[in-house]
Amino acid sequence: MDPKRSRNSHESVNSSESTRFPDEVLERVLSLLTSHKDRSSVSLVCKDWYNAERWTRTHVFIGNCYSVSPEIVVGRFPAIRSVTLKGKPRFSDFNLVPENWGADIHQWLVVFAEKYPFLEELRLKRMTVTDESLEFLATSFSYFKAISLMSCDGFSTDGLAAIATHCKNLTELDIQENDMEDNGGGWLSCFPENFTSLEVLNFASQQGDVSFDALEKLVDRCKSLRVLKVDKYVKLEQLHRLLVRAPQLTDLGTGNFQQELTPRQCAELESAFSNCKNLHTLSGLWDATSLYFPVLYSACGRLTFLNLSYAALQSGDLAKLLPHCPNLRRLWVLDTVEDEGLEAIGSSCPLLEELRVFPAAPFDLDINRGVTESGFIAVSRGCPRLHYVLYFCRQMTNAAVATIVQNCPDFTHFRLCIMNPGQRDYLTGEPMDEAFGAVVKTCTKLQRLAISGLLTDLTFEYIGKYAKNLETLSVAFAGSSDWGMQCVLRGCPKLRKLEIRDSPFGNAALLSGLAKYESMRSLWMSACNVTMNACKLLAREKPRLNVEVMKDDETDSQVDKVYVYRTIAGPRRDAPPFVLTL
Amino acid sequence: MTMELQLGLALPNNSTEGFDLNSRGSEPLSHVGSCLASESGIREYNSKKRSFDEAFVPQTLALLVWNKQPNEEDEGHSELDKNSSTISKSDGDEDGIVGWPPIKTPRRKLCHQNCGGFSGGNFDDGGPRPRGSKSTYVKVKMEGVAIARKVDVNLHHSYQSLRDTLDDMFGRGLKNVKAYKLTYQDGEGDWLLAGDVPWSAFIQSVRRLKLLRSSD
Repeated sequence: MDPKRSRNSHESVNSSESTRFPDEVLERVLSLLTSHKDRSSVSLVCKDWYNAERWTRTHVFIGNCYSVSPEIVVGRFPAIRSVTLKGKPRFSDFNLVPENWGADIHQWLVVFAEKYPFLEELRLKRMTVTDESLEFLATSFSYFKAISLMSCDGFSTDGLAAIATHCKNLTELDIQENDMEDNGGGWLSCFPENFTSLEVLNFASQQGDVSFDALEKLVDRCKSLRVLKVDKYVKLEQLHRLLVRAPQLTDLGTGNFQQELTPRQCAELESAFSNCKNLHTLSGLWDATSLYFPVLYSACGRLTFLNLSYAALQSGDLAKLLPHCPNLRRLWVLDTVEDEGLEAIGSSCPLLEELRVFPAAPFDLDINRGVTESGFIAVSRGCPRLHYVLYFCRQMTNAAVATIVQNCPDFTHFRLCIMNPGQRDYLTGEPMDEAFGAVVKTCTKLQRLAISGLLTDLTFEYIGKYAKNLETLSVAFAGSSDWGMQCVLRGCPKLRKLEIRDSPFGNAALLSGLAKYESMRSLWMSACNVTMNACKLLAREKPRLNVEVMKDDETDSQVDKVYVYRTIAGPRRDAPPFVLTL
Repeated sequence: MTMELQLGLALPNNSTEGFDLNSRGSEPLSHVGSCLASESGIREYNSKKRSFDEAFVPQTLALLVWNKQPNEEDEGHSELDKNSSTISKSDGDEDGIVGWPPIKTPRRKLCHQNCGGFSGGNFDDGGPRPRGSKSTYVKVKMEGVAIARKVDVNLHHSYQSLRDTLDDMFGRGLKNVKAYKLTYQDGEGDWLLAGDVPWSAFIQSVRRLKLLRSSD
């Protein structure tokens, strides 16, 4: 069959009608494709396939909400049921993007309400979502089922009330790590009494009380509930009442875990946990001490993901708990567990694939505790399958990192944060170049890298030379000259996201990526040495890039922040006054 | 490091602020345009901005630190002055480094609430106070131990339960933790032995806790 034959082409007038694939068959086959990459490839084959693909696509993923407009999306894909949208640059998580920058969902919803009346799912990350938008969403889409908001801002519990009130078919309400205003916990009572379809409920990031009665009743009547993550104002003595009503949970986020319990309450809680036969993910555990860990032991054997990052545990606590959790694949902890705690991880969790160690007191310089390089080495020895790490520490050595990646050569995500900017190898006094050199040389599958410590251009030479699968690179307080950034832009063929702050890269570096930026999602540079002229030049040479600049000073030619991203939607029309689109 | 070919770009408005392209190897210069300028290799940019080397030479790091009160504008939806310097507000205080270490807002707020080391409580704790359950974290120190902890006294109903939790927090490796005396600082600044007043009075007045080694 010649896939290039098209019904409208005059070539096929009298030939091979019999070999042309009927649309219905093609569409049936393509509707089974879910991978975005596959669908992209399919759409490039020929016009028939392009059309078949667009008609059969039900989910669209938009990694940068400004790379395309809602009108273009609905124009191309008529049958979408599920949308994922990401908004602000990632450094907005760390206050590097001023408020009111943009990424507001509302205009998208307005367009979707008209063209996608059957929309079922909306997943947003780093977008601004107001209560009005949530109310509009809840009332515009009668078949709406799932909403997930991660790292979003602009809404309050009133918006959740609107969702609870109007979305009769809701299966998922997932509110993660958001900056949400708390206007009271009454929103939970807004779910109607005959509402039973909820499968996922996550309000762990709420900052206040909810009506526990309403929560209990809701959990009781939603028999398909599999994910329940409550906020820290749900007390330990209340947890039992939820668990006995939802033994089918696979994913539990407890509330506060530090409270006085009577022995009877303890026993009840322990029994409730042992009845949760499907529980594989446990989080919350706010302020947990090891006092009540025994209630968890019966469930620990089945756990694959344990998030202890809200419990300031010490090494002994972890050493008591982890032997009960031999099947852990993912573990998040606070650095209060120190190196000894990490040794316990190394000896108890041989299947571990992901480790995140967060700092308990990142802004406190007096503290010289936390984890060091030896804890990391201990984990790498005991957990050879480790491929994702996020590690905050106050000291590191080149030799240690080299050892670590030798033990674990399969890293796909390596995010090391030595918390003092520009800190050297504390044993040799050298820059940390060789550490990251070892990472990129050894870990050929590396997709994401975050670097720290005192770093010269050599680090970037290594990255450019070896990190051939690298897609995301985060740079802070690193490099010596333009050369560094040029190496990366030249050498990393799969680079999609590059975010840089407080590094001495200037105009030459920025412009050296001229030919590359259209193949990337975005570039962020803040507190570097870039000036307006270079940005203007970039914008002029590359009309399909948006070059957005934020400056401290009206008259200054120095650019404080520049955000460059590819787009087919042209310059954005909602830019606030402090953002200049060149 | 020797300087290779230097190209300075003269731009249409004849601004004197050309910039250098220190070219090392094949640079796609043809579409950038070129004209030789006589600038030196290192640009001098606006002196208002410290150069990277000035700011972050390791030996001066001790000066360039974030002080004990990181950016107040971390705290949720504080009403920023939208007209002026929304940018400069998030651009870094004189003392602190904005957004460093890179920790997301919800966790950063937690650090403010829970972590030891902050002097006093004269910064916004982040977000409105939850209705109904006012959490009262107080600092707890143990004599001889460098790191303080924090405990929410409201979660306990009796001295015994508080003591049990504290023993558990500090008792690792300590044989006679129970011999330590629990003392507290009240609202008037006095240090008192815990246990004399009813629990309800205690939690109203307690500001700090300290476990003291038994002196006999």
